[in-house]
Amino acid sequence: MSNKWRVAWLAALGAGAALAQDVPLDGRININLGKDSPVALAGMSTGDSHSSSRGAALVLDLHMSLALRNTGTGRIHGVALRVVSQEVTVGGKGSVSIPSLNIGPGESFPVRIDMQLMRPTQVAGGPLVDVNLDGVLFEDLSCYGQDRLNSCRTMTAWEMEARRDREHFKRVLAQGGPQGLRQAMIESLGRQSARPQLDVRVQRGPAVTSAALGPVHEEQFAFLQFPDSPVEPLQGWAQVAGNEARAPRIEVRNRSGASIKYVELGWLVSDTGGRQYLAASLPAADPALYLPAGKTARVEQDTALRFTRAGQPVGIQGATGFVSRVQFADGKVWVPSRADLDRFSLARVLPASAEEQRLDDIYLKRGLEALERELGKY
Amino acid sequence: MKHPNQATLALHAGGDLGAVAGWRARRHVARCAECREEIARFEQCRQLLPSLDDAGEAHWSRLAAEMKANIRLGLAAGECVRGEEPVGARGMWSLARAGVALASVVVLLAAGLMLERPSPTVARETGVVLQATADGVQVRQGEQSLGLMHSGTSNDAVTYQVGAQGSVEARYVDAETGYVTVNTVNVE
Repeated sequence: MSNKWRVAWLAALGAGAALAQDVPLDGRININLGKDSPVALAGMSTGDSHSSSRGAALVLDLHMSLALRNTGTGRIHGVALRVVSQEVTVGGKGSVSIPSLNIGPGESFPVRIDMQLMRPTQVAGGPLVDVNLDGVLFEDLSCYGQDRLNSCRTMTAWEMEARRDREHFKRVLAQGGPQGLRQAMIESLGRQSARPQLDVRVQRGPAVTSAALGPVHEEQFAFLQFPDSPVEPLQGWAQVAGNEARAPRIEVRNRSGASIKYVELGWLVSDTGGRQYLAASLPAADPALYLPAGKTARVEQDTALRFTRAGQPVGIQGATGFVSRVQFADGKVWVPSRADLDRFSLARVLPASAEEQRLDDIYLKRGLEALERELGKY
Repeated sequence: MKHPNQATLALHAGGDLGAVAGWRARRHVARCAECREEIARFEQCRQLLPSLDDAGEAHWSRLAAEMKANIRLGLAAGECVRGEEPVGARGMWSLARAGVALASVVVLLAAGLMLERPSPTVARETGVVLQATADGVQVRQGEQSLGLMHSGTSNDAVTYQVGAQGSVEARYVDAETGYVTVNTVNVE
């Protein structure tokens, strides 16, 4: 082999090795909080974030931490960041939200973003990841942000649930004392650990015919009616075949005196043994939903959900629906009360709210007294 | 020397060429012994043709009847030559034929059922798929994927929620910050 060929061969090997190496992601992440944002970037660490080539794809491992400072005048109760890999393609968007905050003016708080992204290497340069401020929710329920992912509505609903659950535990404390609160916490943790969960895979896109799952049939929804709900579910169906349910559609009536722009229903499914699981939420929003006072509308989604547990398909037998969130045209949000949830023992099936999860964590890690102090802050 | 073609010679032999072509042919033939012989052969053929006409009209119906009779004779001769088959062999042959016929009917029915039976409408693994993974939530389409991870938190402590509009949410308490963190991946 001549010297020239040896050099070429070594250069090729070197290039291959260089391609396979991890490359730091410094400078390839764009943080955009907006010019008049009520939060400012107080610090940022990209840690060991890196990119590496895998065949024709580029794998990005992002482990970053942001420190945001409240530069406004109100207390911040929630923040949502939109994480975008490619704006123009479907399937490259996500969000990192922090509900149940209580950050005063001038105070800072950390936000961690851990993500893995895979994209074709052919894609042109520019930032590999954009992090944008999608929403900031304040104590008075006002909201700032681009709201591209409807983060304001979601954070408002979380805040309503947080207020509901804090009131519940404060009432327990007032009525039963510390021992009553301890018992309530133990029950809450027990419910969460015993709650049955299914692995659910959501598939969007064109449906194709397959006989692998068995015959398809229309499963009619049964409904749980909450007396104080502004929306009443009337009738509904979903197509069920084996462990797959698709194309749910539910007719609802606005029984309030105000226009409604968003309805979300909870969808429970039962397995062949009669055990209930939370399958998914079924949202419908303006403009697909037009629901003035007293009128009816249909909530429907062209989607397929496939259910498994421990890797095994779970056959679906029954479907139950209930109204879980409503947003009025003026932006106010309704969520079910604790009494509504207790009435149908839904707490055994539904996950705890973000606030209840936080309070459980405080009790577990810092004890009962810390929890009492935390409840006393509100 | 360039010879006239066969068709010209044949027409010359019959006296059917035009004035100019006939003059050319005659001029060539006067000098060419080969072509004269060829013309002589054409003239002999022409003399034979009228005698062939005397063979009269063929009796096609009679020929057909004779052919049928010969076929019947052949079949009858075949039956005489063939020995007696054992009854068992004939029965087995009949059973085999019946079996083949039955299998054909079954295949036909199965094909009909497959074609006519309403199949469930389910989604194949095309399009956009969202799901929870071992350490996060992920949306993927073809070669592209985006996953939000909940590193540092055990999977048991993570609450997953699915939105039928195309979202999967993982909610957990961040061990470092103590804040509830909600990672969501969206189709749109």
